[in-house]
Amino acid sequence: MAKHTTKMICPKCGAEMNHHADKLVDPVRPEDLRQVNPALGGIVEETHCCPSCGAVESRRAG
Amino acid sequence: MTNERPLSIPVILGTTRKGRMSEHAARFMVAQIAKREGVVTELIDISRMALRVDDAGDGVKEPEFSAKMIRADALIIVTPEYNHSFPGLLKHVLDSCLKEYIHKAAGIVGVSAGPFGGTRVIQDFLPVIRELGLVNIFWDVNFGNVSKVFDESGNLLDEGFVARADKFLNELIWMARTLRYGRDNIALDA
Repeated sequence: MAKHTTKMICPKCGAEMNHHADKLVDPVRPEDLRQVNPALGGIVEETHCCPSCGAVESRRAG
Repeated sequence: MTNERPLSIPVILGTTRKGRMSEHAARFMVAQIAKREGVVTELIDISRMALRVDDAGDGVKEPEFSAKMIRADALIIVTPEYNHSFPGLLKHVLDSCLKEYIHKAAGIVGVSAGPFGGTRVIQDFLPVIRELGLVNIFWDVNFGNVSKVFDESGNLLDEGFVARADKFLNELIWMARTLRYGRDNIALDA
């Protein structure tokens, strides 16, 4: 899975979010299997925080 | 950029049983946090959550709980020790979220009818805390023989717990501030 190159924008206040964590999660639904990184053994979920308002968002590594 | 919002440190009361003494411990912790400047808190009673039990994760996530976890900078989890472990419903509630917890501080308050003060449940809880992305502190508060710590109305009978809670909160608030700075300012690949 390639890494996203674009910054996430806070959906609440429009500020640029900080990508501060990658969490490995297990596939739950059948369609999740396509997103599994075989080298890591799961799906990489990026976690982003808004330094302006504290909002939290996540997205799967692209 | 510095985030000037007050720290949010809710207390999760992790049992739904009738007659639970953990409620006294949770209310005591809320009162102790409320004395701190720059910190807001609230009691989250899992017995008041209408969480479905026929699915997990996003399938049962409660928007109000999710929003509280997003706002939180740290969590205080008050858990009784049932058969050496934590209540299953507490685990179900915690498992309903994930991104909301990552790189946030957690402190565990153990409650037991016997003398060990929840030490076994806390040890059992640590791998769960870690997998949820929370960062556990090294202070705990252990309410052993809890029926001797609070009277039936929840009044504290052992003032020593004020000092113990104070040490616990000092560490938790430090960790919460540090992790907020990191979440806000330090990129993973910086």
